[in-house]
Amino acid sequence: MNRHLSTEQLSALLDSELGFAEMRQLEFHCAACEECASRLASMRRVVSGLGRIGRVAPPPALRQQIRRAAAAQTPPQGVRRALDSFRLLLFPLRPALHTAAVMGLALVVGLFALNHQSTNAMASSRTGQETVTITFEPGARFDTPTTSEVAGRKFILTDNGWIQKGLEWQTPVTRVDAGSPQGRALLTKYSDLDLLLRDGSPVVLRYNLVTVEIHHALPTRDLGYEQMAPRPIRRARPAGRGRVVVA
Amino acid sequence: MEPPWEDSVGVATVYPVVHPDVALDVALVERHRCGDLQAFDEVYERFGEMVYNLALRLATNREEAADLTQEIFLRIYRHLGGFGGRSTLKTWVFRIAINHCRDRLSRHYPALQSIDDDSQEGGVSIADPGRGPEDLAVAADEGRRVAEGLSRVPPVFREAVVLRDLEGLSYEEIAEVLGVRVGTVRSRIARGREQLRILLEKGL
Repeated sequence: MNRHLSTEQLSALLDSELGFAEMRQLEFHCAACEECASRLASMRRVVSGLGRIGRVAPPPALRQQIRRAAAAQTPPQGVRRALDSFRLLLFPLRPALHTAAVMGLALVVGLFALNHQSTNAMASSRTGQETVTITFEPGARFDTPTTSEVAGRKFILTDNGWIQKGLEWQTPVTRVDAGSPQGRALLTKYSDLDLLLRDGSPVVLRYNLVTVEIHHALPTRDLGYEQMAPRPIRRARPAGRGRVVVA
Repeated sequence: MEPPWEDSVGVATVYPVVHPDVALDVALVERHRCGDLQAFDEVYERFGEMVYNLALRLATNREEAADLTQEIFLRIYRHLGGFGGRSTLKTWVFRIAINHCRDRLSRHYPALQSIDDDSQEGGVSIADPGRGPEDLAVAADEGRRVAEGLSRVPPVFREAVVLRDLEGLSYEEIAEVLGVRVGTVRSRIARGREQLRILLEKGL
């Protein structure tokens, strides 16, 4: 090393804040270079002089003043604990925990909201206060609904009448007249089905674990039941003509 | 000490990397959070003198240093509950102190400041019991001269020199306190010392 050492190098050398190899190199240089050795000695005297600056004890009264001022700032204990709890909830010790806590909180709120919504829907279906939403296609006739929702169930209008969504490929095992006792019982429970039956279309739905068709036609038997032979139900109308709307 | 964490493979034992000082600091802060008034007293006990001396070197006189120290500790009191343990409490306290001194003194941070005189009222010098009266007198005289020179060093370099040579912080700790890189700390310390050397050689 032919160049003289910089002030920064000399200062770092004094503090041993360099790597081992670099320190050895600088020490060798100082041993050979009088000017750098002199500057190093001069800086060492400065650092040594700084060490002679006496430590000064703070005024004894200062502690009491600070204590009094801090006590005057102290909020009531209850409020303070509540604030601390809130702060700890939102701002825990680590940023990663912070993020995790916020995500967890969002998840809990989301689950609660979903649960609340489904509870409301169940309560609604239990009390029979169903909401019926009928969607009209653009350009279609005013009185031609394509989908409907009754008591949380979606119904699709097909050539065979209203069919509960998901039952398009099932054959009703029982046919019930709306005027029969069984039909009236069913309509009492799902009163809004009557809206679907008004246009004369039968309605196929799941009822007491079986697929049932209800219609306004006269019963073929006194009991109001008619055992039906299995018959396939045609597919729902092509997609695009109707859309499902959830109330 | 907390028990070590056993990794799932069972080959190595992994110890959590927590500096013992930080663990003590976090425990102290936790006591403060729980309303233990003694905890804040302990904070003052540990850092009061350091903060006062730092303020004394950055301010113009002892009265102002005392005011600054009080304000700094009130700030510490308000924010102590938010100490997260990402650094030692020492560097956290110094950071608050430096920032507060900058805020307060920025309006009149002159390049040249008044000469500090240890014989002023309101403070007690801490004597070195290992030296005789003559040595102490010479050292005190030299110390006063250096302190006077230090007060004339620009604040940005003085901060670094004070933290290093008076408070004994490492370069990494100073970088954390000042919020700059270690290379910047190295440069500021060197320039501060160099300016002080020139001032002392010129006889102030």
